[in-house]
Parts: sequence; C-alpha cells; structure tokens
Amino acid sequence: MRNLRIVVVNPTISPGEEDDESLRAQAERGRILRIGLLEAGLDIVASLPADMYLPEHIAKLQPDMIIVDAESDARDVLEHIVIATRDERRPIVMFTESEDTETMEAAVAAGVSAYIVAGLQAERIKPVLNVALARFRREQKLLDELSDTKSKLAERKVIERAKGLLMERQHCSEEQAYRKLRGMAMSKNLKLSEVAQRILDVEDYLG
Amino acid sequence: MEFKELQGEKVDATRRTILHGAALVAGGSVLGLSTGGAWAAGSDKPEKEEIRIGFIPLTDCASVVMASVLGLDKKYGVKFVLSKEASWAGVRDKLANGDLDAAHVLYGLLYGVQMGVGGQKKDMAVLMGLNNNGQAITLSKKRSDKGAVDGPSLAKLMRGEQREYTFAQTFPTGTHAMWLYYWLAANGINPMKDAKVITVPPPQMVANMRVGNMDGFCVGEPWGHRAIMDGVGITATTTQDIWRDHPEKVLGCTLDFAKKYPNTCRAMMAAILEAGKWIDASLINKNRMAEVIADKSYVNTSKDAIDQRIMGRYQNGLGKTWDDPNYMKFYNDGAVNFPYLSDGMWFLTQHRRWGLLKEDPDYMAVAQSVNQIDLFKDAAAMTKTPLPKSPMRSSKLMDGTVWDGKNPKAYAASFKIKA
Repeated sequence: MRNLRIVVVNPTISPGEEDDESLRAQAERGRILRIGLLEAGLDIVASLPADMYLPEHIAKLQPDMIIVDAESDARDVLEHIVIATRDERRPIVMFTESEDTETMEAAVAAGVSAYIVAGLQAERIKPVLNVALARFRREQKLLDELSDTKSKLAERKVIERAKGLLMERQHCSEEQAYRKLRGMAMSKNLKLSEVAQRILDVEDYLG
Repeated sequence: MEFKELQGEKVDATRRTILHGAALVAGGSVLGLSTGGAWAAGSDKPEKEEIRIGFIPLTDCASVVMASVLGLDKKYGVKFVLSKEASWAGVRDKLANGDLDAAHVLYGLLYGVQMGVGGQKKDMAVLMGLNNNGQAITLSKKRSDKGAVDGPSLAKLMRGEQREYTFAQTFPTGTHAMWLYYWLAANGINPMKDAKVITVPPPQMVANMRVGNMDGFCVGEPWGHRAIMDGVGITATTTQDIWRDHPEKVLGCTLDFAKKYPNTCRAMMAAILEAGKWIDASLINKNRMAEVIADKSYVNTSKDAIDQRIMGRYQNGLGKTWDDPNYMKFYNDGAVNFPYLSDGMWFLTQHRRWGLLKEDPDYMAVAQSVNQIDLFKDAAAMTKTPLPKSPMRSSKLMDGTVWDGKNPKAYAASFKIKA
C-alpha cells in the first residue's frame, strides 16, 4: 500500500482562550498525536486548525484520511464535512484514550466514517491505519457494487417493459423486439436502457 | 455540598436523602397502581445508580448542572457524574457507544442520529425538554454599520452588495442550524444558495467574528450576549422571536438505555424537573444558578455574560434594551419539559426541507419511537409536574406559518425556499 496522504486536524488556542483548561488539554493531545504519527513515519501532508476554512482546505488537499483527536471540538466541523460530502466519503480516524476494541468494531461494522483506535504507540499506528483504510475501501466497494446492481436492475426493468410494448404493438417475438431495440440503440449511439426509456416516454405521451 | 442551603432548607444532607428515599418508595407504590408494570411490583429502585451525563458549556445546561449541585439527584436515589464535552459529535458518539448514559443535547441532533444522517444510525430517545428559548442570531458589527440590523435589512444589504456571505451554526442537524435557516429563508434568503453556511464550535464564534471571518451566527447563550459585550456583533433576532417557546436542548439517551433502565431514567428526569422548577422560581435562584454555571468546570465565562439574558434583560448592541417575557425557561409549569411529538416531527420536516433527509420518513412513527412520553408522565407524577392535554401542540412561527404536526409531509413540502 502506498503512503497514505494524511491530514491531521489540530485544535489551536485563540487569543483570549489561554486559560481554558479543556482547550489547552485538547491542544496538548493534538501535539502528542502529531508527534506520534510523525514517529510512525506517516506522510502528514498538512496539519490544519479546526477553523472555518477546514472544509475548503480538505477539499483542496483531497487526503486519503483525516485524523483527529476524539476529544477535540474540531469534531463538529468535521461532521459538517461528512454531511456535505455524503456521496464521496472518506475515512476519518479518531484517536481516543479508550482501549475498547469493541467500539471500533461496532463503528466499522456500522459503516461510519469514524474509526476509534486505542492507544498511540508508534509501532501500532501504521498497521492500524492501514486496516482502517482497507476496511473503508472494501466497504465503499460493496456500497458501489450495491448501487451499481440496483441501477442495473432498474435498467433491466425499463428494457423489459419496452420489449413488452414492442411485442404487443408490432406483434413480434421477444427476440425480434430485442433486436429492434438494439438496432435503434446502435444507430442512435445510445445505451439500450436509454432507448427503452424513450419508447416508454413516447408511449406515456401518446397513450 | 455548599449549595445545599440554596434549597432554603437547612436539613442534614444524609438524613434528607433517607427521608426523601422513603417518601419516594411510598410515592412509587401509589403511582404503581396507575402505571402498572415494574412499579406495581414495588421495584422502582433505579437499576443503575450512577449516571454519566454529558453536557456542552452553554447556559442551557443549567438544570442538569443544578440538579447535581443542589443534590436533587441523591434525593431521587441516583448520582449524576457530569462530563463536560468538547463537541456535539463527541456527545453523539459517546451516547452511541455507552461512554455517556445520557446528555444535554441538541433536539435535532438526536433525530439526525435516529435517521442516520451523517454518521452511525442508532435508535435514540428524547426523555424530556431541558429548555425553551434563549438562543440568538448575531450579525457582525461590520454588517450592522452598513445597515444590516435585522432580517429584512440584511436581505436588502445582500441584494445590494453582492459577495459571499458566511453564516455559522453549531452542528449540521442541530437546532441552531434550523433556526438560522428558517430565519434566513423567512427573509427571502436561501441559506443553501445565497450564502455559505459553516459549522463552528460555540466558544469560537465570537473570536471568529472579531477577526472578520463571518457575517453572522446562530448559537446558544451566553455567546450572543458575549458578542455584544465584546463589541463585535449585534443581536438581529432572538430565537424566541422566530418561534415563541421553541424546543431547544433535550435530555437524550439511546433507546436501549431508556428500555433497560426505566427507573434510572425516571429518577434522573425527576431530579432535573425539580432543578428546572427551582431555577424558574425566582430571580435570586437564577442569579445563583448563573454564579454556579459561570465556573470553569461548567460554562467558563463571566457571570455577567450569563445572568442578564437569563433574567430576560436583553439589549441588541445598538442601544435598544428590553425586557423579554420569553427568555430562556427551564420549567414553565412543565410546558418546557413535555416531549411533544409535534416538536420532534418539526425537526424531521426541516431536515427534509434542507435535503438532509432525501425522502419523507413516517414522521409520526419516528416521533413516537423517539419521544418517551410514558416515561415522562411517570417522572411528572413524581414531581407533581402538570401535563398538557395533548402530545401535540400548535405553534405559529415568525412567517405566520402554523405548525401543529397534523400533516408533516405537506408542511415539509410547503416552503417556497428549500434545498
């Protein structure tokens, strides 16, 4: 597997927020996370603050994976990205202190784009990320296949209906109706399902 | 413990708990006659006594915090362990995986999880409402200097001076997103087409506006008032002016948790109902509440940022000051807390309107599954909280549209401006 293009989202402390303990803790965890990833030899293409420009930066960088501290307030900004890019999902990995592997399995099984991984030992990070990415890709492939199958099924239905219509109108056999459809598709340079749909549309229109 | 005296009764805490515990058992068996089930068998003891409850640092976490600070949790035989959370997405995930038992959470967020919008789909429960009202839409000082001080003048400015306008909310499926979208659309601005809408964590709103990153935002208090105090923004509208007594935060958990621990849920709800009643009871109590929640461990801001609007004293940052009768309420004789089915369905209609839901769900069935009306009735009985006549209510929103939950599909489709 080639090197992953990884973006890390790091909370930053704005002026006036220096004495907010939870923000300080977030920033510190973010720093440790970043060091851990670098020590594991990962290719961090950018380390971004969780500000209002995050969605644009991520759209521009097109990373393979986004990594964020699970306790960070950046999560809500990422949620916005997840919803805005619902149709082209990308794995978002979150690190938490929790050692609960069941949580991760449940998250993966449910097909969420968030994988919760325990611990931050340098030698464990890389394989864990690779597994997360592989699972994500496999799941995406299955989802793509499913939608592909669904649309093929829908196309088949349209073709069947058009064939039936031709058979009834022109008193021909199924084989002949199919050949007529295919002939029209070839001469008009259209997909079989498109020709079928046109026939059905005309039928609807003329009754 | 130092706040025990806030309740106005100087009773020894331990004795108090035992006394109330005994009273509760007696009350429970009386209730059992009418509600049946586990109560009739006399086992109304909370199945799980320690409850981990998440909250986000906002004024409207007050009834949850005060239930714990005043020791009302112990009165009902449970112990709240409060957990300050950094993000709504974090609250959602921790509810789903059991790190949190329950949480102070955005109404629309729970419905988003129920429908699988964005992340993992999971059956959720709305146990009760935590507050009505008390959020605001702020416009930046730069825009107000150019005349945009309310909805119509903002629309005029946006038509006249065309560029990219940026507005922020707090969570894609949450309440603030829905108030912001509704308000913009009611003023003829399509939030999906005429503006850029982003998600920003509440405590970062004011800082971002200060450096000129955004034209406006919708968020819960104290951040609206804080923008005025800091001189970076003005209040263009309050959310109660969009929908008077609108539902806002709720007490939420997974449906599994509500089914597995009904007695724990009732005890938790009773404690919070009583805390809400306490807050709404007097200005002195509100003032004390503001003092408590301004602390670092809760909202982490100055008391001044909280207490003005809590008491209904509003200013818009342009010199206008008024007493708003529809300020943030935590109890209002139980009207705040009843989980109306029509309120739940409203969020679904808006999710549909803005394309978060691609198809119409069975609105009523979803609301009936999420909103735990039977559990609420028991908790209301424990605290003598009045109940409304119907699980539906009728509300007139700012554009004159009436929402009564009767025809959600038609309502969702009726808006001229939508995604």
